[in-house]
Amino acid sequence: MRDLIEKLTPRYTLGNATYQRADLTFVDVTRDELRALLLELRDKEGFTHLVLLTAVDWIEEGKFQLTYMINNREADQTLGLRLYIDRNDAEGDTIHDIWPTAATYQRELREMFGIAFPGSPRVDEEFILEGWTDMPPYRRDFDTLAYSQQTYVEREGRETHDPRATMKHKMYPEG
Amino acid sequence: MGSLRDVLSPFTAWKHVIETPVTIKNPIGREAADRYRGFHQNDTDKCIGCGSCEDICQNAAIDMIPVDNPKDGDSGLRPQIDYGRCCWCALCVDVCMTGSLTMSNEYTWVDSDPDAFRFIPGVDKMPWDDFEKGYERQGDRMLSGLTRPEMAELEPEARIGNFDEIVAGYSREQAVLEADRCVECGLCVATCPAHMDIPDYIAAIREGDYDLGTQILYETNPFSEVCGRVCTHKCETVCAAQYEGEPIAIRWLKRHIIDNVSEERRLEIVGTPQVLPTGQKVAVVGAGPAGLTAAYDLARSGHAVTVFEAQDKPGGMMRYGIPEYRLPYDALDRDIAVIKAQGVEIKTGTRIGTDITLDQLKADYDATVLSIGLHLGRSTRVPGSDAPGVEAAIDLLRRITAGEEVPVPKKVAVIGGGNVAMDIARSMARLQKQKFGEVGVTVTALEDFDHFLADKEEVTESFEEGIEILDARGPQEIVTFKSGKRKGHVKGLRTWKVTSIFDEQGRFTPQYDEGDEMVHEVEMVVEAIGQMADISLLGDELTEALEWNRGRIAVDADGHTSEPWLWGGGDAVHGPDVIHAVADGHKIAASVNVALMAKAEAEK
Repeated sequence: MRDLIEKLTPRYTLGNATYQRADLTFVDVTRDELRALLLELRDKEGFTHLVLLTAVDWIEEGKFQLTYMINNREADQTLGLRLYIDRNDAEGDTIHDIWPTAATYQRELREMFGIAFPGSPRVDEEFILEGWTDMPPYRRDFDTLAYSQQTYVEREGRETHDPRATMKHKMYPEG
Repeated sequence: MGSLRDVLSPFTAWKHVIETPVTIKNPIGREAADRYRGFHQNDTDKCIGCGSCEDICQNAAIDMIPVDNPKDGDSGLRPQIDYGRCCWCALCVDVCMTGSLTMSNEYTWVDSDPDAFRFIPGVDKMPWDDFEKGYERQGDRMLSGLTRPEMAELEPEARIGNFDEIVAGYSREQAVLEADRCVECGLCVATCPAHMDIPDYIAAIREGDYDLGTQILYETNPFSEVCGRVCTHKCETVCAAQYEGEPIAIRWLKRHIIDNVSEERRLEIVGTPQVLPTGQKVAVVGAGPAGLTAAYDLARSGHAVTVFEAQDKPGGMMRYGIPEYRLPYDALDRDIAVIKAQGVEIKTGTRIGTDITLDQLKADYDATVLSIGLHLGRSTRVPGSDAPGVEAAIDLLRRITAGEEVPVPKKVAVIGGGNVAMDIARSMARLQKQKFGEVGVTVTALEDFDHFLADKEEVTESFEEGIEILDARGPQEIVTFKSGKRKGHVKGLRTWKVTSIFDEQGRFTPQYDEGDEMVHEVEMVVEAIGQMADISLLGDELTEALEWNRGRIAVDADGHTSEPWLWGGGDAVHGPDVIHAVADGHKIAASVNVALMAKAEAEK
């Protein structure tokens, strides 16, 4: 894979190459070069399969990381392209015309992370969350516990005890 | 009209009729995958009831329920799971501090009673309790780190020739890393004799709020400089983090807070008494941790407190027992400065019985607190133990602190295996290094290394400093010169191998292998086998009047002696331990307060 990265480097802005395993490599790419790079990798380098498209919420840096995992079956190589986009203006470019399955991943990212993919088929339809009104739940500032407490009724008869207060009460009641 | 194939193809399906179907008629009872996340299991003997599972649950599905009485390091609570809320994510299993909580691969269960789906795994018996298959964390705990940041210390070569402090203290980065490992369960609070709010001050470190940290420390302990260095840290022995890694370095974190707040700032945070003076007077005998803690509390309650101290400087064993390389005197002075700022008067160089009597205190003060410590060394009483050249460790340590000249011979033997033995061995080693350029100390301890009394780090550091420690050796005789110029003076120490220390009833009756005899040729033998209180200052009359408990002054739960005007606490009453003495000080002050209030009420 080092050969491939070296071969592409003069023409693309690639950064931070991580050779994670013999058959798995990650590299940072830029948004304006993504489409050209994906097409070249698919049509000239044998990366014919989109394994998955997912996101990571780097909330402290104010960024989402989109990860495009593509696979060259012949060579048994997987390449992950990492693309960082602004978290406040979360929008990616659709690639459903390159791989039709991308439309489903983009619809999922729209729902779970709130990342827009204008032009992607059915991208604004509900995917697995029905009637969701809250913040997209895979964003790290989504408070799962608070949501669950507000949304689901507590079953009657529940009571909990704080370990520290229990011990204080029983073991040193004098204070 | 379709082709012939369209007509015939349905019949070709018939060829599959004798094959085994891939679908299952009744999925109930079908076993799940080996690592399926099904109903929980909990090894309740291993569980310590820390509640981390409850804290991490994103669905509020877990309650902590009392199933047993709390004891040290175990709240007696066990998690109850509400399967109406559980989403089977297994975060509770991943965070579990002891690895007691796991999940079976059982996932099917039918019951018409919804409440049946809320139970305490391991306590409420379930058919899957003993299932081997299911989900458990692979390898060690990963959600909280396993190891402490390494503490920077002076290398042995750099420290052996001086009394400089060895431990450097944590940096901000190290302290935050360590604070992040704490799950804030609070199991440690009960075990700390002073019940310090440990999780709260660790949280303050994480937030970078050292003012708040200082305030929390002072709520339960005015000796954080001291305890941040030399506390016996019993809290760390019950820490939830210890089961799969190192316990949180609670003692070093305490020190980190106080390291980051200047003496002036500390005075601003702690302030001075905010109550009207009561006009009542309290005398405290002994300026050690128990006496000064009581003085601090009582002064802050508005009483006029006078502390009488026999030595030239306050601090008691913290100054005169603990060597400077473990607790620098200026650190102790900073703690004492805050106490003095409360208006506490400390009369040093004033010995009870010589300069003033207890009877006078009884007459002049509304209450008297006795916190006299353990300043007399015990003797082995083996033949020769009264010869010149035999010293008591505690006396020698005091003389070193006071700056008195102490004899420093080339070869010294120490009898004892506790921390005081290590203290005097390492102090003498430093003096030898300064005088001769080399160390010649041999420690002989009754206990073997598997049952050693001194802290592990004391033993390790002693070895690093070139001290010889011989375990399981009992003193038989201090050999003296029989003739010549040095007649009668120490010549050596004769020891036998110890085969057992206690008999079957647990009584102290050391047994020896007389065939394994050694004579250690030394010019000085230091006895470090324990201390006792100097109770001669009580006088015959009071000694007679007081109730006693196995040689120590008997006190009730509040530290009140059998004499209404007298309270007692600290090492002299409860044995040697700084943090226990601090706890005693608080208890006594509370009790004295109640008594003085009643007294004021009666005099109205």
